[in-house]
Amino acid sequence: MMKKKTIALLLAAMLVLSLSACGTAKTAESPAASAEASPTADKTYTVGICQLVQHPALDAATQGFKDALTEKLGDKVTYDEQNAAGDVPTCAIIANQFVSSNVDLIMANATPALQAVQTATSTIPVLGTSVTDYGTALGIDDWSGTTGTNISGTSDLAPLDQQAAMLKELFPDAKNVGILYCSAEPNSKYQSSVITKLLTDMGYTCKDYTFSDSNDLQTVVTSAAAESDVIYLPTDNTVASNTEIIKNVCVPAGVPIVAGEEGICSGCGVATLSISYYDLGYATGEMAYEILVNGADPASMPIQFAPKYTKEYNADIAATLGISIPSDYVAIAAE
Amino acid sequence: MEILAYFASLNPLNLIASLPGNVAQGVIWGIMALGVFITFRLLDFADLTVDGSFATGGAVTVVLILAGAPAPVALLAAIVSGILAGLVTGLLHTRLGIPGILAGILTQISLWSVNLLILDGANKAVNVDKYTLIVSLRNVGSSIITALCFASVLIMLLYWYFGTEQGSAIRATGCNPHMSKAQGINIDSMKVLALCISNGLVALSGGLMAQYQGFADIKMGQGSIVIGLAAVIIGDVLGEAFFAKHMNFVIRFIFVVFGGVVYYLVVGLVMWLRMPTDLLKLLTAVIVAIFLAVPYLRSKAKNSFKLAGKRGLRENA
Repeated sequence: MMKKKTIALLLAAMLVLSLSACGTAKTAESPAASAEASPTADKTYTVGICQLVQHPALDAATQGFKDALTEKLGDKVTYDEQNAAGDVPTCAIIANQFVSSNVDLIMANATPALQAVQTATSTIPVLGTSVTDYGTALGIDDWSGTTGTNISGTSDLAPLDQQAAMLKELFPDAKNVGILYCSAEPNSKYQSSVITKLLTDMGYTCKDYTFSDSNDLQTVVTSAAAESDVIYLPTDNTVASNTEIIKNVCVPAGVPIVAGEEGICSGCGVATLSISYYDLGYATGEMAYEILVNGADPASMPIQFAPKYTKEYNADIAATLGISIPSDYVAIAAE
Repeated sequence: MEILAYFASLNPLNLIASLPGNVAQGVIWGIMALGVFITFRLLDFADLTVDGSFATGGAVTVVLILAGAPAPVALLAAIVSGILAGLVTGLLHTRLGIPGILAGILTQISLWSVNLLILDGANKAVNVDKYTLIVSLRNVGSSIITALCFASVLIMLLYWYFGTEQGSAIRATGCNPHMSKAQGINIDSMKVLALCISNGLVALSGGLMAQYQGFADIKMGQGSIVIGLAAVIIGDVLGEAFFAKHMNFVIRFIFVVFGGVVYYLVVGLVMWLRMPTDLLKLLTAVIVAIFLAVPYLRSKAKNSFKLAGKRGLRENA
């Protein structure tokens, strides 16, 4: 009986506490709320950022987005930045939170984040980034470059045709190209199918090597290294987090790697034609400014791609493997 | 001053406005927790199949809806896929003698490949603007009602079933397998049956979740066993607190679903507090740990007499 009372008391205390917390918050809130209501030139904007997971490339995109928007709007913009910590269902919780608090714009970083936000709202403008193929991600069959809905954004699709050409330029005598990626990442599979076609047309034989997570990566990469002359790594998040494993297998085996982006290349690759996720996020931030301030309609804004590509190479690994790199490549700065 | 500014930046209206969505998601996961309750509590079997079968349910549902099947049909197929997953775990365990936890893990990892095959990739969107879905983040209100209807019907069915001879045999198997065997219950069949029912429910919940969030993803089931267990235990603790000894079987089921709701309310609260996002999992774990610790601490306090008695016995021996 005592216990029951204690619990009842505890629960009651928790309730009272939470109520009082709400009370103080509310009174402090009111001046800010009234400022928000006045539709003058100094209108403030709230932007919700939903990011799938803590990850160098995604973090860079978010940072670029915020830098671009803050540069233009200063302190007139506030961010509600949420990260699902890799939990897919949490994206829906975050999306719901943004929609119910009626933010002015939502930036969704990575595919599941964009999909959850798309499901949550058909009215609030949404910008995606770090998404490779919007047609597939949003379930739009007749993809034309614009969504026709409240969604636009930037694609992290690397210039695959130019990457294939680069692979040909560096390794003209290779025969077998292994493409290594995580089977859980739709964007990687898409890139693999595109570059396989390009490389096959150039006379290479391509084979996919997929792993499910970092635990079976080493086994898969070992067999990939044994059977391939060159390995191609698409812009794969799991690969990006595990470059050390790949390097420790491929460099001793003498198998060079062409990577889809700079981060992976600096970890384990020889060369890359890189996009910068920071620039991508920055471009997304500029789109956000157009929507918030100039009233642009995301329905008619075409999906943008990375503004510039850089031919880069990893000096350490290239030297170890004895590969001579043409002079128009830039060495990746050591971190 | 900084603390004041922090509180000022929190808008309680936003928290209240986000409640319905969190409740909807909580009820959907509550259905999943019903499945976990059957294996974990009734059968006393830690079934790790669910991380895979949750995603299987989502994958089957989305693929069938995209192929033109009505959502209820797709959900039925999802249930069947979950039952099959449970069957595999059950047979691995009972026929091949693989320990329960390993049997679940084996099925779970094989379902990763199966799900990739079903989805033909890692992720598939089902656009709410183009297909008729029975629950969706777009219409939170109606989603709550639909999910609650599902939960109520399931609770009634489960209550009825676990009162029948077969259902009671499953419960007996969980309580005391040796005694049940001695009473002529085929405990292997009962284990398989319970695993099938459990994973059927989990897959149904996965199918609802995929519609609710608008896509199926190969990773959507990762860690779902943790959420399921948390919901079961939170439900237990709250049920005990409100009903104590009057908690009957129906109320236990209801509180399992309620546990799922509480879990997602907590997640929503942590997000609303704008804690550094890196701390999200830690904070959620701390809150669940509190719920886990309460029954233990209570029983420890309750049993002080028994403890004293035991001590006395030891000293006298």
